[in-house]
Order: sequence, then structure tokens, then C-alpha cells
Amino acid sequence: MVLDTSVTPDIAAAPAAARRSGWRRALKGQWLHLIMLPLAFLWLCPLIWIAVTSLKTSAEVFDPAAGFFPAIPNFSNYPSTLSVAPFGKYLVNSIIVTSSILAGQLVTITLAAYAFARLNFPGKNVLFTLFLLQVMFPIYAIFLTNFVTLREMGLVNTIPAMIVPFVASGYGTFMLRQSFRQVPSELSDAARLDGCNHLEILWHVYLPLVQPTLIAFGIISVVTHWNDYMWPLLVTNSEDIRTLPIGLGLLAKADSGADWPRLMAGTTIVVSPLLVLFVIFQRRFIDSFMHTGVK
Amino acid sequence: MSQNLVRTQRKEMLLAYALLLPSLVFLAAFTYWPIVRSIWFSLHDVLLGDPDIYWLGAENYLRLLNDRLFWKVLGNTAFYTLTSVPLSIAAALLLAVALDSKLRGMAIYRSAFFYPVMIPSVAAGMVWVFLYAPGYGPINEALTGLGLPRLDWLYDSKWALPAIVIMSIWKYSGYFMLILLAALKLVPSDLHEAAKLDGISAWDRLIHITIPMISPTLYFVIIIGTLHSYQIFDYVYVMTQGGPADSTNVLTFYIYQNGFQYQDIGYASALANALLIFVLGLIGLVSLTLGRRVHYLGER
Repeated sequence: MVLDTSVTPDIAAAPAAARRSGWRRALKGQWLHLIMLPLAFLWLCPLIWIAVTSLKTSAEVFDPAAGFFPAIPNFSNYPSTLSVAPFGKYLVNSIIVTSSILAGQLVTITLAAYAFARLNFPGKNVLFTLFLLQVMFPIYAIFLTNFVTLREMGLVNTIPAMIVPFVASGYGTFMLRQSFRQVPSELSDAARLDGCNHLEILWHVYLPLVQPTLIAFGIISVVTHWNDYMWPLLVTNSEDIRTLPIGLGLLAKADSGADWPRLMAGTTIVVSPLLVLFVIFQRRFIDSFMHTGVK
Repeated sequence: MSQNLVRTQRKEMLLAYALLLPSLVFLAAFTYWPIVRSIWFSLHDVLLGDPDIYWLGAENYLRLLNDRLFWKVLGNTAFYTLTSVPLSIAAALLLAVALDSKLRGMAIYRSAFFYPVMIPSVAAGMVWVFLYAPGYGPINEALTGLGLPRLDWLYDSKWALPAIVIMSIWKYSGYFMLILLAALKLVPSDLHEAAKLDGISAWDRLIHITIPMISPTLYFVIIIGTLHSYQIFDYVYVMTQGGPADSTNVLTFYIYQNGFQYQDIGYASALANALLIFVLGLIGLVSLTLGRRVHYLGER
């Protein structure tokens, strides 16, 4: 009886009923659109507001009688925001910081994950726990003493200050270790018989096979550190090393809510790079974040 | 022969430590040393940039216990975590279940709910300051349109923190939704078919089949959500600076105020340790209560 449950009822029913229920099935579930469509629109509203407001004049923003759309699209907010804040410089800094963090992480997590996945050594479990605990202590929890340490090292207000706290990643090590463990050991045994040492096996056998995990981790790391606000805010105080989010925050402070169109033009500039990449590589982004939770 | 074995074992051990070394150097310097050091600082009178420190013993902690603002800030932090995490996970679960039912245009919906994760927290905070603006903000315009009273949102000490909670639901539900969607795909569909044949309602199926089947992932999402709630610092910094009347002041922001604005590293360190205890306690509580009830497939 239990095995029968995969058979849908209309197969057993009369042909006419089957046709009717087939038609009903096509529509069935689609009523959800009535809820989901408005909900999705609601979710998109903040983004729509950013874009629309960036094309308005200040007067239109504060006038409740003005329509939702600007009377004439006012593109001058973009050059005007670019003239008050060096977003080009911020963009370059953001790229340097994010890519340095990623490069450093890829090296540290690959080496550590291989040791945890394939080598035997005393203290393995204790060390692995120490790596995992880092996930519990993000920079938000320990920023104060890290700031003091970097100050003593003379690194405050330098590009490396924004990078070094993130070079080791317990989370990335964990993710990659799981993938390494799924590589069949026959492959590495064969490579060893051919005379490869551990590092050669890691490079030629393991890394090519775990590319999807590396890409997934890379995307998550880039999104996290590209958008990071608190830490770069605390350790920078000069224009030429600030990143995009910090630049945007400063623009907001300077405007103090008076010039929304210009501020929203700046927001559009800051939000665009990742959103454009997201639209182009949607599948990859979605897959990366989707599988962070599945072991 | 056995000497050879010992030698290869030793070589493997040395290699392992060498491979771990780069990570360990950074972990030690920027994760573990700061924690040890903040315990040390919290027992002293330390000023930012001042090399002289004085032993205080437990004085910073006594001060903390008598600091009324600390208790208020702790309450705000607990309120934020205990509302924003369950609410965004509940929203995420409903969205995931809806999208799992082979809805047409599923990919478009998925992206529509997920894109806020890509938006930097500053940008998100700023747009919502605009959306919440009492005089001309679209949210108040919408409330008026619906015949509801307008609110002062971020300027009202009763509504400012709930306003940030609402924004967090928008910002994070999509991420949790994706993780839950991946888990839902692994639930065998014949379970649902069987329950449907027995006339069990969609709600009961959600409670008695879906949730138990994805409970390990749900548990994971709760932990991730709790850790994400640290990020409220960004929103408080951008949107309210802790105000009005400290109604949105949370532990991370209070640590920042004491450490950076008042330069009192000793007291700020005591607060930082209180934050660590708070988060570890919360996660311990979650794993003791929910972790035990988590249902792992094939593990009974």
C-alpha cells in the first residue's frame, strides 16, 4: 500500500475526470502568484526607489504632490556625485582590498583543508575546533582589540589593515575540507605510485576537482568583503585608501539628508558592480549561496 | 621497516603543521590573541593610545553591572536578535516552500527575494532612512494611502528598533530562503503525495513533514542568523547613531562608543567580553534546546 503513494489519483480515474484534473493541475499552485507577485514587487521597491530618486530633482523628492516618476529624468545627479566624491579611487581600493583578501584566503584554506582532510597528525581535532570557533568570532565581536593591535603595528590607515584580519578563514577551511574528503582516495593513491608528493597531488589532483567549491567560496568572500562597512570604517581616515561603502557613508554624512537625488545616484554607483555581476552570473551566485547550508 | 614507518609518519606530521602554519599565524594574531587581550584589558584601566595601564581587578565589571545604559543596550541587542532572526527565518521558510512548489517564474522570484544580500549594508541603511522619512518617505505615504496613521519611525524611540528589524527581514530572508530551498529539494516528494492523499492540509504538512525533514538545515540557519545579527552595527551607525534616546543602541555600537569616542579601552573590553558571552550563551541555548530535537535522516 505504501508503495502505491507515488501513483497520482487521476491516472486511475476515468478519462474525462483525468482531463479535467489535468487542466486543474496546470492552474493549481499558480494561485500562489497572487501572493508572490505583490510580495516580490514589495521586495524590489527599495531598489526601484534608489534608481527613480537618483533621476529626480531635490524639489521633486520633498514635494508630496509630485508623481512617483520624475517629470524629466535628471541625469545630472551622476556627474554631480562623481565631482564631490572620488568614486573611481574608491572603486580601485575596493578591488585591491577584496581581491587581496580572496587571494590570501585561497592560499591559507587550501593548505589547511588538505592537512585536515588527508593527513594524520597529533592535535588534529583540537586544531580543527580552533579553526571552526573563528566562525563565532567575526570582526564585529573583536574589532576593539584588533584595532589596538593594528595601531601598535603602525598599520592603521593603510590598505593592509583592511586585509590582514580576514586572511585566515575557518569557514572556508571547513567548506574545502568537506570537498577534499569526497575526492576518491584511489586517485591520490595512483598519483603517489607515480611518484607525486603531497603538494603535487594537492595541485594536480585535488584542486582541479574541487573547483565548484572554490568558486562558491570565492563568490561568498567577495560579496562579504566588497560590502564590508564596519572594519574599513574604523581603520581608515584618509580619502585615498577608502573603499566604496565608506565613501558612500561619507557622502551621506556630508549631505545630511538634504540632497537625496545626489546621494541615491552615489548609491546606484556603489550598488551596481555586484548587482550587474549577479544578473550576469545569476546561476553561479545562487548556487554558491544555496549550498552554504548543505553538508 | 618500522623505523621507515615512523619516519614517514613524522614527515607527514611536519608537513601537516607546515600547511596549517599560514592559517594559524593569522588566526592567532587576529582572532585568539584579541580575545585573550580583551580579557586582560578588561581588568585594567586602559586609554586608547596611552601606554600606561593600571590594574583595576573586577572594577570594570562592577561598573558594567551598575551601568543602567548597559542593561538597556543589552535588552536592545536581545530584542533585535530575538525578533529579527525568527521573523526572517519564518519569512524565508514560507518563501522557500512557496517557490519549491514548481511555481512558474521561480528563478525570477528567487532573485527578487535574494538581491538585497548583494546590497552593501550602508547603501541598504541609507535607502531605508529615506523610505522611513516621516515627512516625505514612501512608507508613510503608503500608510496614509491605506488610511493608517503615519509614524515617526527612526525618530520615535518606540519604533526605531522595530524599523531596523523590518529592514533586516528584507535584507536577510532571501539568503536564508536559498539555503532552505536547497534542503527542501532533498525532501522525498512521495512523503507529501502520501500525506495529500490522506487529506492532510498544507499547513499540517508544513508543520509535521517539511519542518522535521529539514530541521538540520533550519538549525544551521538559526546559528548563521544569530551570527549575522552582529551586523546591526552598520545599520545603527548609518541610520540612527544609537538614538533616539539610546533606543537603538546595541552592544556592538556601545563598545564602539566607549572604545573609540571615549577612548576607554578597559571598559569597552569588558563590554566586548559581555557581548561574546551573550552570543555564546545564545548559541549554547539554541543547541541545547533545538539541537537535541533536530532530526537527521538515516541516523536513528
